[in-house]
Order: sequence, then C-alpha cells, then structure tokens
Amino acid sequence: MTDANIEAVHRKTRQRLLFTGIHLVLYFSFTLNWTSWGERLGGYLGETRLTGSLMMFVVLVVTFIFLETVFLLLSRREAR
Amino acid sequence: MRLSVSRLATASALFLCSDLLLAAGAIEGAPVRQEVNPIAIGMFLLFVAFTLYVTWWASKATKTSSTFYNAGGQITGAQNGLAIAGDFMSAASFLGITGLMYVGGFDGLILSLGAFGAWPVFMFLFAKRVRNLGNFTFIDVISQRLDRDPIRLVTAFSTILIVIMYLIAQMVGAGTLIQLLFGLPYEWALLLVSGLVLAYVAFGGMLATTWVQIIKAGLLLMGVTLIAALLLANSEFSLSNLLGKATANHPNGDGILRAGSIFDDPIQILTIQVSMLFGTVGLPHILMRLFTVPDMHQAKLSAYYASLFIGYFYIALLVMGFGSIAYVVGNPEFFNEQGKLIGGSNMAAIHVATAMGGDILTGFMSAVCFATILAVVAGLTLSGAAAISHDVYAEVLKKGKPNPKTELRLTRISVLLIGSAAVALGIAFQHENIAFIATIPMVVSASVTFPILFLSLFWQGFTTRGALYGAGVGLVSSIVLIVLGPQVWVSVMGNTEALFPYDYPALFTMPASVLVMVIISRRDRSERGGIDRENYFRLLVRSEFGPSATETADV
Repeated sequence: MTDANIEAVHRKTRQRLLFTGIHLVLYFSFTLNWTSWGERLGGYLGETRLTGSLMMFVVLVVTFIFLETVFLLLSRREAR
Repeated sequence: MRLSVSRLATASALFLCSDLLLAAGAIEGAPVRQEVNPIAIGMFLLFVAFTLYVTWWASKATKTSSTFYNAGGQITGAQNGLAIAGDFMSAASFLGITGLMYVGGFDGLILSLGAFGAWPVFMFLFAKRVRNLGNFTFIDVISQRLDRDPIRLVTAFSTILIVIMYLIAQMVGAGTLIQLLFGLPYEWALLLVSGLVLAYVAFGGMLATTWVQIIKAGLLLMGVTLIAALLLANSEFSLSNLLGKATANHPNGDGILRAGSIFDDPIQILTIQVSMLFGTVGLPHILMRLFTVPDMHQAKLSAYYASLFIGYFYIALLVMGFGSIAYVVGNPEFFNEQGKLIGGSNMAAIHVATAMGGDILTGFMSAVCFATILAVVAGLTLSGAAAISHDVYAEVLKKGKPNPKTELRLTRISVLLIGSAAVALGIAFQHENIAFIATIPMVVSASVTFPILFLSLFWQGFTTRGALYGAGVGLVSSIVLIVLGPQVWVSVMGNTEALFPYDYPALFTMPASVLVMVIISRRDRSERGGIDRENYFRLLVRSEFGPSATETADV
C-alpha cells in the first residue's frame, strides 16, 4: 500500500471520528433536560407555548441531518 | 402523574425493541378483543394482495443464495433508505411513542431521539466500510480480519440470540395488537403473520422483504403526515395552539412540555440513550441492508435517506403525541365505563386517527400497523436464516465453498424453522411479561455486535482473542444485569427491590466489553494476534475506497 493511500484513509478516519464525536456530544446533551439545567430549558419561548426543551428536540434532529449532509458533501468533494 | 417503574420499564422496553410493540396486556391489563373492523381488514387485504404480487415478481429474480441474501445488490440508495427507515418507523414507534407522550408528554421524546440518533453514527462509522468489506452479513466483515471460524460462530450465535429474542417480543406484540385492532384471536393472528412472512421471505428473499418494507414505510409516512396535518389544521395551523390545548387537557398541565413527568434520573436517561443508539447500530438485520445496494456511495446514501425519513417521522410524531392529549383526553368516545382509555395508552395513536379522520383513517392506520409487523418480522427472519445458512453452514462448515443449491435450500428450511419457532414461542410467551425479552436484543447488540464491528474497523491492535473474551463479557454481563434489574428481579420474580437499578445495562456492559477487548488484545502475543493486526492494514484501503482501490494498490 502506498503512503498516500494510507494517509488518505487516516485523514478519512479522523473525519469520521470527529463527526461521530460531535454527534455524540449533541446527542447526550439532551440528558441536560433531566438535570438542573432542565429548569432553564423548560421555560417558554416568547409568547408561544413552545418550551426550550421542545425546541432542543427539533433543533437536534435538524442538526443531525445537517451534520450528515456536510459529511456527505465533504465525501463527494474528496471523491472528485 | 408519575408512572410506576414497571409500567415505565415495559413501555420503554417495548419501544426499545423498536418494532416490537406493545404487549398491551403488560401495560394496561388484559387486552380486550375489539369488534371486527371491516375497513381495516379490507385495507389490510389490499396490502397483502399487493405485497404477495411483489413477492411473486421477486421470486422470479431470486434463484441464487446471493440474490436471496442481498437482492442482487440492485436496490438504490433512496429505496434502501426508505426500507431501513421502515425498520424503525414501526408500529412500536407510531403507537409506543405516541402512547408514552399521551401519558407523559415531553419525556416520550427521549425514545424518538434515541432511535433517530443512531442513524448519523451508522452513516459516519459503518455504512461505507461495512459495505466495502462484506458480502451478505456484517459477520463477513469481521471474519475477513479475525480468525474466521471462532469469530463467525460467536457472532452468528449473538445474531441468532438477538433475532430470536426480537422475534418473541414481535410475535407477542403482534398477537396482542392484532387482537386489539382487528378482533382476531391471538393464535390466529400469529399464524397469519407467520404464514405471510414465510411467503415473503422463502420465495422472495431480500428483494421481496425490502419492497414490502418500502411499501409499508411509504404508507406509514402518508398516515402520520395526514394525521399531523389534520391536527394542525384543527389548531389554526399553530403548534402553540395545539400545545395549549394539550396542557389544558392533561392532569400535569404545562409540566408535559418539559422533562420530568415520567423519568427523573439522568443516569436512567443515559442508559436508555446508550442502549438505543449503540444497540440500533449493531442490529444484524439493519446492517444486512447495506449489502442490498450496488456500491459504497449508495450505502452512504441509504443511511442519509434513512435519517431524513426517520427525522421527519419523529417530528410528525411530536405533533401526534401532543395532539393525542389535545383531542383524545376528555372525549368519551375513547374511554370505557371505568374511565380508562380503550385499549390502553398504546391505542392513543389510533384514537387520535379516529378523532381526526373517522373510521377510514382508523382502518388505514390499523392496516399499516399490521403491515409494519409483517415487514419487520420478515427482515428478522431473513437475518436469522442468513446467520444459519451463510455464516455457519456455508462459511464455517463448508469453508466458504458450499453447494449453491444446497445453501439456498438450507436457507429456505431455516426460514421455515425460524417462522415455526416464532409462532411456538409467541404462544408460549403469550401470558408472560416480555419486557425483559425486548431489552435483551438491544443490550446484547450494543455490548457484543457494536464493539466487535467498531474495533475491527477502526483499531489496528484488535485481535481474535480480545474479540472472543470481550464478546463473552458483554453477553454474560448483559444477561446477568438484566436478570438482576427491575424487569426480571422485580416484575418477573416478584422481589421487592432490584439488585441492579436500571432496565438497560448497556451503559455499563458496553464499556466493560470494550475494555476487555482492548486489554486482552494488547496482551495477546499469539501468532494469530499478529495476523489479525496485519490484516487491519491489508483491509484498510479497501474498506475506505472499495475493492477496485485494492486492485490498484500495491498490497
């Protein structure tokens, strides 16, 4: 195997682990709702009945998809 | 309003097994057979007729074990993404999460996020590398690097254990659900499910199984979209209005919009999150779907599309969950004389469908729930059959050179055996508390399958000896801690207090398994250990760039 191939795989591995790490930190941050932080997140957003906790759920779902989109685009760019 | 531990454990366990659903008897007392619903039965018969036609079409293309296991690798990324999503957008998700939100509001969303959170990890870590290194099952991937016979036997054993436990929970849930929705006797429901699944899998293999899953997933997405849209339309297209109506109806008031109605221990939340994320990523029937697409790019797209569909589904369920509180609570149509919700909290999703769309939408969603069970049981059966005929017979007993016709025949016999066992076990466990059976697949998957697959793909120092010892520790500790936990020690054995406080021990068993794998691998000075380490580099470029890259590299 050439050094260039190995280096490319290592770079890709670091990228995979970085994205996984970011995802896991965000994913487990949802637990904050069941800690004393949850009291802050449980407040209403403005005049609506939406709470920070509910907003956090939606934002996490959207952020996970965004992370995947970025990962996919980076992979495509590298493949070219 | 705070749920009892056993009730909560059951609800969560039922969801954790994802598709397995409810055994409503364990949640809300003995299930009550409903009156026969002609619209539901009519719609279900339409689904069956169409899927049997698809199976007939697929059977013409399923002549070899290759096409049987992986649909000939002809499924596109978008189609496979919908099929993977279908594995998780299940009756359990639809009924279980809506039911849990009906009871406790926001806390039910931990199950949504837990299920959804697995897919990005699946994409980042596994989709491409597993597709590039395997042929039919994830065991192909690890056996290329580690000593093939022992590692195949151990992982095939864990796969079969996961599949059997999953199937028992599925079948008990299916019998109970069909009793509730269609008014069919429990045993007849199991025979019907098993008969249809045998037809799909034995004749149509992975191709039919995938298309059944795609059709069902499409129908389920249509259903939840329609219900969520109707709920919002009834609230002047304002989620805030819907939430306001829900808090006005619920005994907990605006407490349902924040954490704490059901769960109060952050460690318990972590145990659920770890079990769901790493358990899902290591499920054999999910990993097997990566081989149904033609190449690594489509494999990645599969995971991406799966995330899109599942993310959309769970956001729609958020609307449905609060909608069920807003439009079911206080409506006498959905409560019996004792003031209890008809069919229990897991029927809240069906009741909200009735409230929004009358008998037609109820019939449609009931038929979709039945279809969901068929699709998931089909995928599980196929995965178990592949572990027996491909991983054990073809690769271990015949050293990778089986007679193709014999292998295909054995696969079909395995399907028949698994289907029969599922019916027998479903009847045997009909009156048992199956919550712990539902927990085992996810915890074992997180503690055995995930660590072996992850370390074999990402750590050079991993050896067969480390894998075997770690798998043993993961398996034994999972079973022991589940037995000592509330689901078995208290709910089944009748003790007053559990020796281990959590239902899902993966937060502890998975790190223990990984730790043993790392320590034993580091201390492994055997000749085989050296081969395992060298194999890492041999497979590295191929895992990232595909088989063609290996041909051009100077291996």
